[in-house]
Amino acid sequence: MQTTSRLNDVKHLRDIFNAQNSKALKVAFDALNSSIEISEEDLEVQFNRYFVGPMEPVADPFASVYLDNPDVVMSQSTLQVRELYETMGFTYPLKNVIPEDHLGVELDAYYQLLYLEEAKEITYLSELRHYFLHEHIHLWVPRFIEKALRESEHDSKAITFILLQLKSLLIRETTTQGVTA
Amino acid sequence: MSYSKENVESIVNNGISRRSFLKGLAASGVLSSFPGGILQANEDLNTKIPYLGEKSYQTFRNACPRNCYDTCSIKTYVKDGVMQFIEGAQESTYTRGGCCVKGNSYVKRVYSARRLKYPMMQVGGKGSGNWKRISWDNAIDIIAKKLLEMKKEDGTLLGAALTKYSGNFGITHYGIEGMFNSIGYTTRLAGTPCWPAGIDAQNLDMGDMWCNDPEEMKDSKFIILWGVNPAANSIHSMKYIYEAKKKGAKVVVIDPVFTEAASKASQYIQIKAGTDGLLALGMAKIIIEAGLHDQKWLDANSKGYKEYKAYLDKEIKLENVSKITGIPLAMIKELALSFAKAKPATIWMGYGMQRHTNGGSMIRAIDAFVAVSGNIGKYAGGARYGHLSTWGFNYAALSMPKPEGSVGYTGPEGAKGDVAQGKDAKSNYTDRFLNINKTARELLNAKEPKVRLLWVACKNVFAQDFDRNQLIRAFQQLDLVVVADQFFNETAKWADIVLPVATQFEEYDVNVSYWHYWLTLNEQAIKPLFEVKSDLEIAAMLSKRMNQLQSGSCTFPQSVDTKAMMAKEFNPGIYEQFGIKSWEELKNGPVKAKAVIPYADGKFKTPSGKFEFYSDKALELFGSALPAYLEVRKPYDKFRMTSPHSRWSLHSQFQNLEWMEDVHPEPYVYINPDDAEAKMVKEGDTVAVFNKQGLLRLKAKLTDNVQAGTLLMYEQWYNNNIYNVNELVDDTSSDMGAFKTGAPGVALHDTFVNFRKL
Repeated sequence: MQTTSRLNDVKHLRDIFNAQNSKALKVAFDALNSSIEISEEDLEVQFNRYFVGPMEPVADPFASVYLDNPDVVMSQSTLQVRELYETMGFTYPLKNVIPEDHLGVELDAYYQLLYLEEAKEITYLSELRHYFLHEHIHLWVPRFIEKALRESEHDSKAITFILLQLKSLLIRETTTQGVTA
Repeated sequence: MSYSKENVESIVNNGISRRSFLKGLAASGVLSSFPGGILQANEDLNTKIPYLGEKSYQTFRNACPRNCYDTCSIKTYVKDGVMQFIEGAQESTYTRGGCCVKGNSYVKRVYSARRLKYPMMQVGGKGSGNWKRISWDNAIDIIAKKLLEMKKEDGTLLGAALTKYSGNFGITHYGIEGMFNSIGYTTRLAGTPCWPAGIDAQNLDMGDMWCNDPEEMKDSKFIILWGVNPAANSIHSMKYIYEAKKKGAKVVVIDPVFTEAASKASQYIQIKAGTDGLLALGMAKIIIEAGLHDQKWLDANSKGYKEYKAYLDKEIKLENVSKITGIPLAMIKELALSFAKAKPATIWMGYGMQRHTNGGSMIRAIDAFVAVSGNIGKYAGGARYGHLSTWGFNYAALSMPKPEGSVGYTGPEGAKGDVAQGKDAKSNYTDRFLNINKTARELLNAKEPKVRLLWVACKNVFAQDFDRNQLIRAFQQLDLVVVADQFFNETAKWADIVLPVATQFEEYDVNVSYWHYWLTLNEQAIKPLFEVKSDLEIAAMLSKRMNQLQSGSCTFPQSVDTKAMMAKEFNPGIYEQFGIKSWEELKNGPVKAKAVIPYADGKFKTPSGKFEFYSDKALELFGSALPAYLEVRKPYDKFRMTSPHSRWSLHSQFQNLEWMEDVHPEPYVYINPDDAEAKMVKEGDTVAVFNKQGLLRLKAKLTDNVQAGTLLMYEQWYNNNIYNVNELVDDTSSDMGAFKTGAPGVALHDTFVNFRKL
């Protein structure tokens, strides 16, 4: 696997889940090289229905919803991720504003950890990255993906594409990078 | 490279390991190599002090601002910026350390995954479900431009309407009305769907709505809970009632429904709905005839007793009272006489009773009975309904001047709502007032100018107002509907823009009750989540943008600190009443107003200065000087439908939370087994309940807690459910309300329906 592709895939998916408007969302979506043609507005409307709101989204992008309680954010899992980020040397300007276990934030952490290893050849946090991937991300993101896919498969090509990209990334990261603990 | 779970968890969770790991991290070059994103390298990484394990709690003072008798004083426990749990404040003898299940669920409410998180715009038309995120600046810009465009086209801002009610009764939340005051003369959905007929009744009788301290009830010798269910809806009052009962007081519940409170009483009297006033008149006649009335008090303190007595003598036949109320005459006599003999004795009147076409007259009749018995102006006595005597704040957030040159409505001026409203004595113009209890029709019919922008705050219109079909039409014809709320509800569904609003834990405020006498500081305990903002901040943003576009077009402060605004609400009167020198003292806990027995000095704020059995004002406004018997609305369908408050929710709030959904997942219609049998309906069957207004489908529960001939459904908003009991309610008015609150109440409990099994 190409290092740049591996890093970029995480980055684009991160940018999709952190987009604050149609334009940013479309730029990140297009960067994933989908052949799907969709307008900025349609993409955002669909994305919001699945992951943002204001109506109850198809799948909430927060770990706590899958790991702790389907109705709440900022719970035990969130605070565990907070501790993990602090140990990794991160500071989080949106602390207590957007929960640390929001998918976009987790992908941001993962991207930066991967960047250290791939672009800077610094392995100091590698063990923590593996732990974060296998003991946290992997426990909830597949459930998030499956929940959204069940609906998107017969509803939205764009959302399905995003989810499959995420799924494929996760499979690549969890299998090819191995775990032998 | 692999990982060891044990090793990583030791690094994260063990202070010594984490310190040495962080030291290594600092040396590794990691911090200068992070590419940066949402997360940033921690340049101030503290590697000197070992991780300390369990972080300590911070505590904050909060208040429950919901439309509830109890207005709890709350203590909030926060760890590392995250609310952990709340408890009732110990300092308040009323809250006494405990909240209800709704209050105890606040952590889950604040951190509900379902909260509105970002400002959003519905791009496919109202109700389309197609939503885009917009920035606050963008949202405010759209609204500001629309307002200025309307003002230019119409010459006034009367095309902008505000509907706001009781979602948050914090004093600074009158800043929402303040925001509308600050842009000019506008249209307001005025009046109150809650308690207006009773407010008028008490004002006609006593010149005020003012009740004794509920904590005195522990010393009452006789308590009638008349159409009120504190065991479900004012649980903190129950301890005083239990204490009185333990000391030998008799506690009687009079209610058409066998309520939770009834199950705790010494005696339950099931009355036919809408006949309570007649019962009170009959009881007064009985005690007068027995010579148990307080002639001395009546001579000194009342006006029109003679006319009232003559009315009782002539018009009230006890046999008829028994027949119409459905209560045996012997029971009525026993009740009246034992009440009159016990001193002090008190009656607590609920708000449901006045939601009839004769509701105000019934409150007046009960006031009169309490007066005749000599229990007005007495410790642990009184005709209790509610009070606003501790609400004498500055209303700084509310009192915004109109911009220079504002043009408004020149029609007759009305009164404006139940709690507090701004005044503009110098101007010839007023706002335009539409009846909040006829929202759909009034929005559709308003002309010159027509309403084009509606702002909804502290209110779920589609869950609480009447006539859903007309409401949808009314919303659809509006150019711009802005809904400021905490959750996505049926009203937000029909909005163009939704604005996410802060909870009380994310802002400062100050709270008092319309029932007890405590004053509570509400501190900001946590940062506002996601992009939520307080209503005051939203107003400030609007002001800033409007002034950028047109200087002087909005007088609201252009930046607001909720703490500073809260502090501005205090005045020497409040400090004197509560015996404090500064609001800062409230950080130590809530404080109680100095004790005053309402009307103990014999001074009433009526025109005569006395308790008025005979009221000229009542004659002028409502056609009857005396609290005469007024027959309730005639049935227009087979069954009476009653829609009281549920113990799992407060109007449209709380029922959407997990704990409530666990125990009470869906709406039910409660049917008397005799009625159910006649329609071959069994427990759990799905039935249609319908009338000329609409139709609801829901499951049946059979119970003889409701009388034969009556169906009961709670008024509530359920998440993901369009159930709104008010779809069956037409907007027929109650008799009173227009005197003090600007519009009559709604005769909610004079709704009639039929049902069938589906």
